[in-house]
Amino acid sequence: MLEPLPGSQWNKATAAHLMNRAGFGGSPTDIENLRQLGMYKAVSWFVDYQKIPDETPAPDWAQPDPAMIARREAIRNAADPETRRMLQQQENRVQFTQLADLRYWWLRRMALGPRPFQEKMTLFWHGHFATSFDKVQMPYFLWLQNETLRQNGLGNFNQLLIAASEDPAMLLYLDGARSNRNEPNENFAREVMELFTLGEGHYTEQDIQQAAKAYTGWGLSKDRLRYEYHPNNHDPGPKTIFGQTGNFTGEDVLNMICAKPECAQFISKKLWRYFAQDEPPQPIVDALAAEFRKSGMDLKHLMTVIFRSREFYSPDLIRSQIKSPVQWLIASSHQLQAPLPTEPMSLVMLRQLGQELFNPPNVKGWDGGIAWITTNNLLDRYNFAAALVEGDRVPLPGLMGQMRGLMNSMAEDGLMQIAPTDVSALFSAADLSTPYGFLDALQERFLNAELAPQRLASLTDFLKTRSPLEETDIRKAIRLIMCTPEYQLT
Amino acid sequence: MNNPLFTTRRDFLRTTILGGALCWTVPSFVAQTFTALHAQADGALTQITTGKDGPILVLIQLAGGNDGLNAVVPYTNDYYYAARPTIGIPANQVLTLSDTLGLNPAMTGFKSLFDAGNLSIVNGVGYPNPNRSHFRATEIWQTASDENQYLTDGWLGRYFDNACQGCDPTVAINIGPRAPQAFSSHTPTGITLENPDSYRFIGSGRNDDETVAYRNMYTPNPDDNVFGSNDSNSGGSVSMVSGTVTLQNGQSALDFLERTSMDAQVSSDKIRAIASKTPPSSKYPGSGLARDLQLIARLIAGGLPTRVFYVSQGGYDTHTGQRGGQDARLRELGDALKAFTDDLTGMNEFDRVMIMTFSEFGRRVHENGSQGTDHGAAAPMFLVGSKMKSGLLGEEPSLAPADLQDGDIKYNTDFRSVYASILQEWLKTNSVPILGKQFPTLPIVTV
Repeated sequence: MLEPLPGSQWNKATAAHLMNRAGFGGSPTDIENLRQLGMYKAVSWFVDYQKIPDETPAPDWAQPDPAMIARREAIRNAADPETRRMLQQQENRVQFTQLADLRYWWLRRMALGPRPFQEKMTLFWHGHFATSFDKVQMPYFLWLQNETLRQNGLGNFNQLLIAASEDPAMLLYLDGARSNRNEPNENFAREVMELFTLGEGHYTEQDIQQAAKAYTGWGLSKDRLRYEYHPNNHDPGPKTIFGQTGNFTGEDVLNMICAKPECAQFISKKLWRYFAQDEPPQPIVDALAAEFRKSGMDLKHLMTVIFRSREFYSPDLIRSQIKSPVQWLIASSHQLQAPLPTEPMSLVMLRQLGQELFNPPNVKGWDGGIAWITTNNLLDRYNFAAALVEGDRVPLPGLMGQMRGLMNSMAEDGLMQIAPTDVSALFSAADLSTPYGFLDALQERFLNAELAPQRLASLTDFLKTRSPLEETDIRKAIRLIMCTPEYQLT
Repeated sequence: MNNPLFTTRRDFLRTTILGGALCWTVPSFVAQTFTALHAQADGALTQITTGKDGPILVLIQLAGGNDGLNAVVPYTNDYYYAARPTIGIPANQVLTLSDTLGLNPAMTGFKSLFDAGNLSIVNGVGYPNPNRSHFRATEIWQTASDENQYLTDGWLGRYFDNACQGCDPTVAINIGPRAPQAFSSHTPTGITLENPDSYRFIGSGRNDDETVAYRNMYTPNPDDNVFGSNDSNSGGSVSMVSGTVTLQNGQSALDFLERTSMDAQVSSDKIRAIASKTPPSSKYPGSGLARDLQLIARLIAGGLPTRVFYVSQGGYDTHTGQRGGQDARLRELGDALKAFTDDLTGMNEFDRVMIMTFSEFGRRVHENGSQGTDHGAAAPMFLVGSKMKSGLLGEEPSLAPADLQDGDIKYNTDFRSVYASILQEWLKTNSVPILGKQFPTLPIVTV
């Protein structure tokens, strides 16, 4: 179990698999470069990202904003409803602009930054320690949490858990900042055990209620700009949790949770599910959990074992997962060797496809798997493919209905345009010399696999009468291959 | 499937005979009828196939755990006021329903439905040994399982499996971004719709070469057996929780994507045709929920063969500042329902529609220290319709400390009794194969 993949099985298909799962996909050249490294070095390139400098600057607004409290007070104390409405609108504009900027800042970092695996891991933790703008409200705190997850995301799980729990965004999202020693709020106490560490069935209602007391005292500073411990609001008395009694603090309880074997099981299973396979087999989970515990909950060790294991490259795992919307968008832009669409275009697409960053559906994050797909958003994927490849000939579904006004104004500013894909960069003259040669090159670039016969037949029919191939034919064929079930898999 | 109990299956096959032709398990038949269906996807035909007599169920999920006690307020109960010193609703503010119960003052929409005899409230609905998890509780409501039983099929999915093997995908429509687990089934059924204007493959023109190639990628040539001859690919802080949909019966993600692509293609022309000939009524409030219900009204008026619509409203997880949050949600819900039922009445369609609300749990009787409430247990359900036995059903739960379970209200009506009543009295189907056993039914329908 979990033996390393033999060198003989390291090839274009397995290299592409690693590139898709540890990162966000790549062009045939990227995949070939990764293949040439060999499996060990290829995995190291992803997981030893500390060796690669990343000088991505923070967004310029990403710092405590001492004027915020005053602005919010002014809204509350406005003399009349009209003034209040105006001030609120001003404040909303600031927040929404920052939020959109944050979303695109991160998306670009995932797509173009030097450490794709660090960003993939951060995205995993964003779905795990889920928080949402709807409740947190402050983009600065969302950015701060994003940094916490980025800096701790491949370290020790116990440290990550404490850092994520005491983070202002989490304290606001799960009401820790509103809890008090007399009547503790149970929201965080429940979700940390159910969703972040142990899973249902491994704790009691009493454990939750007692732990809720231990977490009291965690809060925000008076200016509400940073975490602060309030000893006077902490219940210092004895609590009984998992059958042990003591004057536990919140950090004590998180350490006790991490020490339970179920925690290693739960995290190993979730990581395998996210990076490898929708339905993790129990023997693999057991083996991973054993490795994880042996390493003292070292996430880098666990992920290295996963990415080097023979099981990770099993043929029935390759191209078995449905791309998340983020994966779909970034991998598409890599395969098209095109820049990411503009900020409003990218954000509209992710929203319509069901993965709005910093707005997961609930504290459980995104379910993933087949839950990404509905009849409606599959049609959206097919139509967005046209926008990505053929440029702004095709209207975006998101431009219609309620969003039309906003979109029209952005269109006037030239923000809603995508240039048609430059196909000369993607295919050689030899690739384009016959329809069959072109179909092979098309499948290699966009699927690393073959289409089902029905779809191959239709594409062949589409291409066979067109010789020589015009650029528009090539773009239509690319768009069509992106409108297949196969293309949605990674 | 020859079980004589499945009377609705016959009805379904009769009423959705054209839809039946789209059964996933008969691909060559799909091929032959596909073109014909598209050509005929206009109102006249769909109405013949469904009949105007088919009952419709609209489910509204109140995601996050709606606090029952501040929705249907026991305004004469001293225990209520003792447990809720800051968020309790004063007796002089409630919208009176009876000598003991009144609605949250934000629920004026509900009050007018109640006064018109179109609202029934089932008190104290729940199930044994709830564990207060959003996700487990949602799963239990969506699958109608016992509290210690783990099912992947949704209760409506089982209804469709029993009542219509391989029916038209539009028999179940979810409005919103995520498919609910309630629709999960052995033979997957139902579509998800957010915006009818964009619910189509956009090519460069009508019948352009790209659109033709797209259609040909999915529409099998009758001479090819590309789908295989066996059934292996058949069926094949909380704002929103829809339950987790998972793959079933060894189905792969690719099988699932193929089927969803097919359903999208089959349903898109019909949806668009209907949406374009039934313009939206303008008399709805501006909320997202109201917009969703407005779309449902258009689809009903257009004569789709849909039996079940599903829509979700989030924001009920009120751990803090509950009065502001919950009251706003309930107002939005009541106002949207009022507009929807008025619209249906105007279109002469209200008689065949029943609306049911549900939430994963009610909340703790005692408020917490942040002017909110933590996760609890039993709560009331709302049923809306013109054929309803209007009024209060089920026993009003006791709030006496000795009668609570770990601070929670004990249920006295199992939620599956409500499901059974709807299945039997409204959808006219046997509930036993769907719910696993016979639950006592409540008198909810007048005729």
